[in-house]
Amino acid sequence: MTTIDVAEQVMPGKADVLLHASIPTGWKRVRMHKLMVNATLGVLGIVFLLPLIWLVDSAFNTHATASLGAPALSLANFRAALAAGAGGAIKNSLYLAVVSTLIATAVSTLAAYTLSRRRVPFKSTLLLGVLFLTGLPVTLLLIPTYEIFVHLGWANSPFYTSLVLAATSVPFAVWLLKNFIDQVPKEFEEAAAIEGTTEMRILWKIVIPLSLPGILVAAILTFINSWGAFLIPLVLDANPGNTPGAVGIYQFMSANGTVQFGPLAAYGILFSLPVVVLYLVCSRWLNGGFAFAGGVKG
Amino acid sequence: MAKIVLQGVTKLFKGKNSAAVYDLDLEVEDGEFLVVVGPSGCGKTTTLRMLAGFETPSRGVVQIGGKTMNDVMPKDRNLAMVFQNYALFPHMTVEKNLAFGMKVRRTPKASIGREIREIAEMLEISELLGRKPAELSGGERQRVALGRALLRRPQAFLLDEPLSNLDAALRAQMRIELKRIHAQYPVTTVYVTHDQVEAMTMADRVVLMQGGRLQQLATPEMLYDQPVNAFVASFVGSPKINLFPGRVVQDGSGPKVSFLTASYALNGSHGATFDAVSTREVTVGFRPEEIRLATGNDPELPVVKATVELVEPLGSETHVVARVGELVLTCKLPARCGLSAGDTVSLEFDTAQMKLFDTESGIRLG
Repeated sequence: MTTIDVAEQVMPGKADVLLHASIPTGWKRVRMHKLMVNATLGVLGIVFLLPLIWLVDSAFNTHATASLGAPALSLANFRAALAAGAGGAIKNSLYLAVVSTLIATAVSTLAAYTLSRRRVPFKSTLLLGVLFLTGLPVTLLLIPTYEIFVHLGWANSPFYTSLVLAATSVPFAVWLLKNFIDQVPKEFEEAAAIEGTTEMRILWKIVIPLSLPGILVAAILTFINSWGAFLIPLVLDANPGNTPGAVGIYQFMSANGTVQFGPLAAYGILFSLPVVVLYLVCSRWLNGGFAFAGGVKG
Repeated sequence: MAKIVLQGVTKLFKGKNSAAVYDLDLEVEDGEFLVVVGPSGCGKTTTLRMLAGFETPSRGVVQIGGKTMNDVMPKDRNLAMVFQNYALFPHMTVEKNLAFGMKVRRTPKASIGREIREIAEMLEISELLGRKPAELSGGERQRVALGRALLRRPQAFLLDEPLSNLDAALRAQMRIELKRIHAQYPVTTVYVTHDQVEAMTMADRVVLMQGGRLQQLATPEMLYDQPVNAFVASFVGSPKINLFPGRVVQDGSGPKVSFLTASYALNGSHGATFDAVSTREVTVGFRPEEIRLATGNDPELPVVKATVELVEPLGSETHVVARVGELVLTCKLPARCGLSAGDTVSLEFDTAQMKLFDTESGIRLG
């Protein structure tokens, strides 16, 4: 039997199914469909909301347990969290996140621009390699990286730890930004070039401003990734003074074999605040959307 | 101010069998307004991009202002270009767009402001200086793009279909404006378009390209009156030239061409071309204005009977589509000619401008 025969036998039935699926029979069907979608979303929303409610509730409850209870509205848990070094840990996290974000964003922007605009040998192989790397678990790299760090004397240094954090974010950021820069029409760069502009200036004045939303997304993702990083700073930096928030939070769970739910929740809220603020600040730019309208379309 | 010379320029793209531009020789005189015209894919934009430096010729030499430019970067060519889509920087105001190039070239701040004011006034965009490109209409964007190019003070202007995104009325207005600006700043200009009307109305000389090859380089009048081949003849002119299959035969008195239901004794230059041939298949070309209602004043002129299929009154004239057997022809008749579809008419062909082309190659024979 040839392939054409197969196709002819399969297609009519398939087409029928598609036809019926895509055309609702009436309003009732549409409303039923909507109801189902909203109900599913509602259930999912509650599933995600419950832990958050618990977090806020327990943070203010001096007798917090693993279950929800009436809050006592006390700041004692926050005081306990700060006494346990939450302030310093957040500062350490901030250092790791900011430095790794700056490095990763700068490196991946340059790499993405080159991959987007220049003729690079084995480009598609390279890009697929980068994509593959985004899926690689960090644990795989950690032991050899630790060996290298010990060898080079880089261990216990927040800067070199940030470097590794940046490296783990670069593949995804390059992939994201390359696709973003691909969308920037080349005419802008050509128009700038014919005005006598050097390539560095074109990158700085034209490409980067026009790719800013993409760069921002890459930066935020890197920041969040570094902010929440646990394993890398735990292994590469044994100095207690350098402990970042994600590692520091661990102390409430193992101390005396019990879990101090109240301070843990308060610490969690303090630890998530910078990310929430970052998100609020950036969402203005991100939601505003960005079009090249007016520049090249008539 | 500069002369542009292309010598044997060929552009091959990877993965394409035929050249985008093939063996192009071209000289654009200093201050000339040259229009490159042709159907899409004819190589006209590739040619312009090679002048700008965005593409490197595979073979041949590009010279601007006496300097070979093959290996010179676009930024060092001192050219200005207006892009089909304007390519105004969307994140900058009109003023910043205009100032961009001057800042790059380190023009003193005071003169940047003055020059922008002057050019904005000339292009009537003074009120738009604070706006972003997205807030402008097509015509306004066009002016800003033009202003940016003018401020470059280039040795040559390159324009890539600059009017194709405008509506018809604005296009006609901008045609006149561009001509005026060129008269004011007579800088060598290469203007690419697919619109033969733009080519005919604006050019000092026109380059007509097809399939990556130059078909003819001539003044608009020459292109219209003396096309070198059937393609040029049919590309230029609206409505299109009528092309009929015909045959030249010898009889006792000399060569004769027969087409449609008519026959005409070739004399003068036509006759000389065909003196030696016995029989030859040709394509006979008459422009629509060379076909008129038969008057009978000159019995030598070929006359055919035709059936009117379509009448298009344009006010100042009437375009009539008529059928002769299998073939359809278009003629320009005076306004209010009183014809309607279905009428049978006698049409007379003015042979003074009759064009004969070789049927196979399309080359003009006489």
